[in-house]
Amino acid sequence: MTAPAPIRRIVIVGGGTAGWMAAAALARLIPAGVSVTLVESEEIGTVGVGEATIPPIRNFNALLGLDERDFLSRTQGTIKLGIAFVDWTREGHRYVHPFGEFGFDVEGVKFHQIWRKLHAEGRAREIDAYNVCALAMAAGRYQPPVADPGSILSRMAYAYQFDASLYAKYLRAHAERRGVVRVEGKVAQVPLRAGDGFIEAVVLEGDRRVEGELFLDCTGFRALLIEQALGAGWESWAHWLQCDRAVAVPSASPGPEITPFTRSTAHRAGWQWRIPLQHRVGNGHVYCSADISDDAACETLLANLDGAPLRDPFLLRFEAGRRKRAWHRNCVALGLSSGFLEPLESTSIHLIQSGIHRLMALLPDSGFSPVERDEYNRLTDAQMEQVRDFVILHYHANERQDGDLWRRVREMAIPETLRRKLDLFRGRGRFFRHEDELFAESSWIAVLLGQGVIPAGWDPLADGLDENKLATSFERIHEMFARAARAMPRHEEWLARNAPAGTTA
Amino acid sequence: MIRDIGIVGGGVAGWMAALALVRALPGIRVSLIETEGPDWSLGPFGPAEASLPDFPAWLGDHGVDEGALLRAARGSFSLGTAVSGWAAREADWFLPFGTIGAPLAGIAFHQLAARIRETGRALRLADFSLAAVAAAAGRFARPSPDPRSILSSYGYGLHLDRAGLAAALRAASGLEPAGEFNRAIVDGAVTAVELRDGSRVVADLWLDCSGPAALLASRLDQGWEDWSAWLPCDRVVETWIQMEGVPPPHAHAGAFETGWQRTVPLAGGQGGALFHAAALLPDQPGAIPLAQGRRAAAWTGNVVALGAAAVLVEPLHGWNLALLANALARLIGLLPAAPGGPEPAEYSRLAAAEADSVRDFAILHYKTNGRTGEAYWDAARAMPVPEALRRKLDLHASRGRVPLEDGELLGADDWIAALDGQGVRPRRYDALADAMAEPRLLDHAERVRTLILDAVRAMPHHGATLRAEGLIA
Repeated sequence: MTAPAPIRRIVIVGGGTAGWMAAAALARLIPAGVSVTLVESEEIGTVGVGEATIPPIRNFNALLGLDERDFLSRTQGTIKLGIAFVDWTREGHRYVHPFGEFGFDVEGVKFHQIWRKLHAEGRAREIDAYNVCALAMAAGRYQPPVADPGSILSRMAYAYQFDASLYAKYLRAHAERRGVVRVEGKVAQVPLRAGDGFIEAVVLEGDRRVEGELFLDCTGFRALLIEQALGAGWESWAHWLQCDRAVAVPSASPGPEITPFTRSTAHRAGWQWRIPLQHRVGNGHVYCSADISDDAACETLLANLDGAPLRDPFLLRFEAGRRKRAWHRNCVALGLSSGFLEPLESTSIHLIQSGIHRLMALLPDSGFSPVERDEYNRLTDAQMEQVRDFVILHYHANERQDGDLWRRVREMAIPETLRRKLDLFRGRGRFFRHEDELFAESSWIAVLLGQGVIPAGWDPLADGLDENKLATSFERIHEMFARAARAMPRHEEWLARNAPAGTTA
Repeated sequence: MIRDIGIVGGGVAGWMAALALVRALPGIRVSLIETEGPDWSLGPFGPAEASLPDFPAWLGDHGVDEGALLRAARGSFSLGTAVSGWAAREADWFLPFGTIGAPLAGIAFHQLAARIRETGRALRLADFSLAAVAAAAGRFARPSPDPRSILSSYGYGLHLDRAGLAAALRAASGLEPAGEFNRAIVDGAVTAVELRDGSRVVADLWLDCSGPAALLASRLDQGWEDWSAWLPCDRVVETWIQMEGVPPPHAHAGAFETGWQRTVPLAGGQGGALFHAAALLPDQPGAIPLAQGRRAAAWTGNVVALGAAAVLVEPLHGWNLALLANALARLIGLLPAAPGGPEPAEYSRLAAAEADSVRDFAILHYKTNGRTGEAYWDAARAMPVPEALRRKLDLHASRGRVPLEDGELLGADDWIAALDGQGVRPRRYDALADAMAEPRLLDHAERVRTLILDAVRAMPHHGATLRAEGLIA
């Protein structure tokens, strides 16, 4: 059996975060004789706001061989140990979704099950007290985790907050050094091949033609190739995720302190993000336009900054949903062209990264067998749905009394997959995570408990353990974790010593 | 709230369930009711049971001393399964309990291997697995806990006499049987079980460990999914051969013209089972009917079917004990907080997914067989396969990748080893492997091979290890 020839020419259209991430990763194929070309126009802006990420970003950077400190200093980057959710469950309430693990399992019984039992009996602190990232967040401190499983610091996980347009610029330099060819120009036409409707080339203004076999659509909401040229279709999730606009603005840092976490504050008609970078703070108000006017949304945003705004706020419009086929014919959509979920759990960059990873593993040959495409789309759909469910959970499990949006999302019918998770957790705190699920059990538990979804009972196995011993060991774990957090340097000091922002940025 | 759990069936499945419950749920009363007849609670698959490498840890977690069990159950060690006569009449391969090769720059070893083959060099995956090489050399020592050592790259399973295993599990549970099963009293649910002496046992939840007879589960039945369209063996003959000498440290699944023979070596003999189809090999003495498949809903009402009462699939590899251990963990994790909860449906859904994944792994051996010109095997090659397996085969053929679904028992490495062993070659391998310089690739493979050979040379023979532990004279 002779295989069709491998693909020799890959064309990426769009040079934002998605485009340059893809270019930097695909550059690994260049030594095997593949050409990678990226077409972008300097006239087209990117949606470059402060961007927060989740821990797997570190794998992506490691795969590219990026030096962490260099990367942080060139992107105004900071460390992120989790997210603080303010006023989400109800007004005046606050919880955190820390990265890293809670406590330790005991004789095969999950930590959160034992915690539930002890807490019900008044013998345990709030669950954050047993998470070293949560404690470091509260103290504004950071120190890199260590691999030694005997160390408390091995229970940590972290991600980054950085300026996404600087990240794209940084990756561009990396990709170009490895042979990715950048072509400046705006796409004017996308001619399709007769017969199978594959993209033949992109034709730029001024008639330059860039031919390829595989095209990556990284053109953001415009979805120039996947939708405008190929009509892959859109599935809206607006009935579950009703926010459809955001107004964003950077602000001055309020002081020397840089919090090692992202903050999300619920408002009457949406929520506001706060992402601290080294030189400033990124803010945005995500809202439902049916519940509040753009002007009022902007006022809310500005009224809730902790530093002076550094420019005029700018408006973004969107709809939650996904491209029906992220891979259609010879085109793969990455980033916003493939789907949109509001940045409540900082998943945008991760969805790009995992799309790239999947594509590398399922790279087609020139025969474009449907096998790889179907598998890619199946995995992409599953991942989008899992993240969607996680985001919906934040909205659905709320007790807020102040706006119609919160009543609607509380009362709405939720996806069956989420329904099942909630039912199982409500009974005895049970949780069955799908193997390829992005958010680990500890993330779901943090948000479920934080949003007030408290299990009625606990794992019967917890009843078989000596309660007095457990209570003592819980207190010891807390003290150990708290001591470890206290001993860390302050986050801004760690940054200043190890990864101060470069003067070129 | 569940306070009483009744178990029907006193074989390996029943006593393993009893032990798991007693250890995990000290507040619950457990009653075990014995049934008559041979112990087919995991299936009529011969007098010896083979485990996968997770079983020693299960025993440790449940307070069963491995050395004592091995001595009581004529035990020996296993590094995997030798699979002969499937890929072709004269071909064999090995499913090792351990890793095969090592990745390089994030590229999986089998992808590197495919690139090496493309250069014209022959390569057997098993040569890069410590477990497989040691098994072929008849060597065995327990693995090292040090993750930096190559001796941590494998695990081991156990081969155990069925009756000895059941007795050891019973002793560890500390329970005495409540009596002998006479009949179940069913009124929408199982309300009680009547014993031979006429007395009755009541319980909130029943575990059916009575084997294919499914004395309780069949009474509340939601149906049995029949797999005979894919797994043609519908008869099995249990065998025992007395033998002196050192047993090989692996099980064996050997195909012949109209079926296959399972061999599980013990100290002093070989337990086996002959799987075949009655239509092609009629009237075998001692043939036991075998209806391969699974219960549509493993947990129905107040009855949970376990072992062969839940799923009956030919044991090409030693997965019966693993299926049971996973089922017990799932059950304990899902004991309902209140009646009418979501737990039974969730349990059944997870159980079905796991059983189907094992079924597909078994079907793979048939679908990809290379025994041309034999009616039984020609038909198996031609059959359509379940959708999930189809997708695995297609994606493997195309790119050398195997997509796993949630809750699969076998790992990606097992699938790769089986596909490769059966002679299924992907059309293309990972594109990244092409970006790797050839000398670097060959050097990597050579280094892995050298490390393995050196380690195996330093390992004791299986017989020496068995003697040192008092298992053979």
